[in-house]
Amino acid sequence: MGAQSLQDDAPRSPAGGAGGAGHLGDLFGMILWPVHRFIWADPRRRARKLLEFAAVEAAGGRDLVRAAELTGDPELRARYLVHARDEARHADMFQARGRALRTQVAGEGKEGLADWMAPGERGIDGLDLRVEKDADLLAFLHLSESAAARDFARYARVVGDDAATRILFQRILHDEDEHKRYTHAQLRRVAPQRSRRFLWWARMRRLWKAYLRFATALAGVMAGAILTLQYFLLLPPFAWLAKRNRGRERPGWDEPGEGGAR
Amino acid sequence: MKILGISGHYHDSAAALVIGGVPVAAVQEERLSRKKNDASFPLGAIEWCLDHARLSPDDLDAVVFYEKPTLKFDRVLTGMLQGWPKSWRSYPKAMKNMLGEKLWVRGLIASQLGIATRKVHCIEHHQSHAAAAFLIAPTQEAAIVTADGVGEWATLTAGTGAKRSDGSSEIRLLRELRFPHSLGLFYSAVTAYLGFTVNEGEYKVMGLASYGRPTWLNAMRKLLRPTADGAFALDLKYFDFLGKVESGYSEAFIALFGPPRRSWQPIDLESVDGQRFADIAASAQALLEEVIVGIARDLQRETGLDDLCLGGGVALNGVANDRILRNAGYRRLFVPSAPGDAGCALGAALYADRILFGQPHKTVPDHPFWGPQPDESALLRIAEEDGIPASLSISLIEDVADALAANKIVGWVDGALEFGPRALGHRSILAAPHDAAMRDRLNRDIKYREEFRPFAPVVPAEHASLFFDLPAGGARLARFMSGVVPVRPEWRTRLAAVTHVDGTARVQVLEKKMEPRLHALLEAFGRRTGVPVLLNTSFNLAGEPIVNTVAEAYSTFRRCGIDLLVAGNVCVTKPRVIRAQILENVA
Repeated sequence: MGAQSLQDDAPRSPAGGAGGAGHLGDLFGMILWPVHRFIWADPRRRARKLLEFAAVEAAGGRDLVRAAELTGDPELRARYLVHARDEARHADMFQARGRALRTQVAGEGKEGLADWMAPGERGIDGLDLRVEKDADLLAFLHLSESAAARDFARYARVVGDDAATRILFQRILHDEDEHKRYTHAQLRRVAPQRSRRFLWWARMRRLWKAYLRFATALAGVMAGAILTLQYFLLLPPFAWLAKRNRGRERPGWDEPGEGGAR
Repeated sequence: MKILGISGHYHDSAAALVIGGVPVAAVQEERLSRKKNDASFPLGAIEWCLDHARLSPDDLDAVVFYEKPTLKFDRVLTGMLQGWPKSWRSYPKAMKNMLGEKLWVRGLIASQLGIATRKVHCIEHHQSHAAAAFLIAPTQEAAIVTADGVGEWATLTAGTGAKRSDGSSEIRLLRELRFPHSLGLFYSAVTAYLGFTVNEGEYKVMGLASYGRPTWLNAMRKLLRPTADGAFALDLKYFDFLGKVESGYSEAFIALFGPPRRSWQPIDLESVDGQRFADIAASAQALLEEVIVGIARDLQRETGLDDLCLGGGVALNGVANDRILRNAGYRRLFVPSAPGDAGCALGAALYADRILFGQPHKTVPDHPFWGPQPDESALLRIAEEDGIPASLSISLIEDVADALAANKIVGWVDGALEFGPRALGHRSILAAPHDAAMRDRLNRDIKYREEFRPFAPVVPAEHASLFFDLPAGGARLARFMSGVVPVRPEWRTRLAAVTHVDGTARVQVLEKKMEPRLHALLEAFGRRTGVPVLLNTSFNLAGEPIVNTVAEAYSTFRRCGIDLLVAGNVCVTKPRVIRAQILENVA
C-alpha cells in the first residue's frame, strides 16, 4: 500500500471526537512537514525513533493495565486489558523493526533538537490513575489515540522507500482507529450527557501538559546554559585545588567518617 | 519510639516504620506506584506505613533519611572539579539534579509530612546498610561488610556489630573504601558494557556468567588491582564515571575487551560475540568473588568472629555470597531480604532507634513480610464480574498440589508483601521443577525474558540437603534466597527447570515457621511427585514490579500463561478461551 492509499485509509475522528484539536494538529502537521521528512529520511534516526516508540508503547500498555486494575467497571476492565495487549504488541512490532533497521545501518543516530517534533504516542501522559475518574481517563485516551493516529499516518507518508516501516505504521493505525472508537463509545456510555464536556476538559489538560513540557524543556536549557557558564567562569581555580588534592590521595582503605576526598 | 525510615531519590525508594524497636511496616515505593525501581520520594510508601500503624505524621518521634545529602553533594562537586574540563557535559545535569531537590531533603521531608525539621535526621548511607544487615540478623556479634556502587563517599565498608546484654547496640565501621574505587561500580560498568540496564541488569550478568569461562580474567585484573593494605583500586583509565554516567566505561575499556553489546542486540551464545560476552561476564564475576572473599576473609582473621552480616547491592550477588560462606572462614552469613537501597529505609530507622536514641535492642522477627496484605474477597468479586470461575476451597493446598503435579502454573498470593527484590512465597509464581520444558514455557509465556536466566527453587528446610549441596550455614543464607549453591548431581535431571547450566540454583530454604502454608504446599507436592521442591519465581511480568494487590495479581494472571490464581483460600482457574487468546498473542 502506497503513501496515497494510506492517506485514504487514515482514521477519521469519530463524531464529537478529536474535532477542533484534530484540525489544529493537521495544521501543525503541514507546517512541520519538512521537519518530519528530515527526521524520518535518515535510517539511523528512524531506527532510534522506532525504538523510542517501542518503549513508549510498552509503558502505555502498563498504564492501561494499571487502569484496568483500578477501575470498578468490569466492561472497562476488559477493554483496557485488550487495549494493553495491543500496546504491548505494538511495542514488539516497533522494537522488531527498529532492531532490523539498526542491523542494516551502523551507528546509533544522534538525538536532534527536532526530535520532540515527532512525538508518537504519549499514553496517559503522567496522569495519576489512582485519582482519575473513568470518564476523564477515557476522554484523555481518546484524544491521545487520535493524536497518535494522526502522527503515525504522517510518519508513514514520509518514510520514503522504506516499505516495511510504512506497513508497520499502517497496521498500528488500524488498531489506533479501533482504540479511538472504543474509548469514545465507552465515554458516551459512562458519561452519556457530558461526554463533550469531558473531551473539552481533556483537551485543555493536554494543552496544559504540552505547555508544561515546553516550559520544563526551556527552563532546562536556560539552567544548563547558566550552569555551563558558571562551570567555565567560576570553577577553574577550585578545579585546580581539587586536582592538586587528588595527587595526594593514596589508594586503599581509609578511616571511616565524614570527610570528603582525602 | 515511633521512627520512620526513608530511602529514595536514586533507585528503589522505600519507607519503613519501627515502633518500640520492632519493625511494623516496610514497603518499596515501586510496589505501590507500579513503576519498576521507582526512585521518586516514597510518598505512597510513607502513607501506607502510617496508615497501617494508624499514625499521623505528628505521632512520629523521628524521621530518618538513609544518607547525608550534603556529603553526597560534596562528593559529586569534588568529582566534577577533579574532572574539569572533561566533566563539562555532566556538570549542569548533576547540579540540576542535586540542587533541585536532593540537597534539601530534610526540608522536603518536613514539608511533605508537615512536621518540624528538627525531627528529621540523616545518617550515612553505609551505616544504613550496616544496620539493615546487622540489627535485623539473629546474631549477637558479627563482622559487617557493606558494598555497593557508592553512597556519599564510601563504596565499601568493613566493621563489626554487637548487641550487648545491657540492651545497648553498637555498629563500628573500621575502615572504608571511597569513590571512585568501587566494586559495585566496577560490576555496573561491566553490566552496561554487556548491554544491560545498570541497577537492574546485574542479575543478568550473573546468569550469563555461568555460560562463559573466565578467559578475560587477566584483562579484568588491569581494571581492578589489589592494594598493599588488602583493599583494591580501580584503574580509572578504564572507567568514565563523569563523562558517561549511564555506562561508566571508557574507550580504553572498549580497546581492551572489544566492541560493547548494544542493548537491542540479542545474545546468541552460539556466536563468537555471544561467547565473548559470556566469557567477559564470567571473568568479571570471578574477579568480584575473588575481591569480596578476600576482604571478608581478612576481616574474619582480624576480628575472629563467626558470623558475617553482608549489606549493600553487592550482597544480591548470590554466587559471591556462597563463595564467601565457603571460603572466608565464617560459620554463618546473614544477608537481609532487602540488602539494597530499599532496605536502607529499615536500616536507617533501626540505626536511629538503637544507636542515635540509644533504645534497648529488641529481637526483630526473622521474616521479610512487612508489606500490605491482600484482600482475597476482591478476587472473588473481580472473577465473578468477569465470568471466570472462582471458588473458596477448604482443601486448597491439596487442590493446588494436584494442579502443580499436573504441570499447571500457579500464581500464589498469600499474606503480607515481601520487603526486598525476591518473591519469597507471598507473591510468587509456582510451578513443577522437574522439566526443562517448564523453564522454557515460563520464559516464553510468562516472564518473556532471556533464556540464559535461571529460575529459583524453594524447598522445605528439612529436605534441603537432600537436593542441594549446602555449605555449613547455607540454610541460613538461603532463607531469603541469597545464595547460589550446587544442585546435587543425582537430582539435576529431576530438577531441570531450576538447575542452571552450571549445575547450581538460587534456592530458598523454607522453614515451616516462616511460611506454613507454602511449606504445606511443598509437602503436599512432594507426596505426589516424590520431590518436595517447587520452582518459585516472582509474581510479575517483564518490566513490571512484583504484584501487590489481588487486582494486580489478577491482571497479570489474565495477561500471561498462568493457569491458576490463588489468593488466600480463593482459587481462580483460567478458562480455556482466555488461555487460547494468550497463546495466540505469544505466537
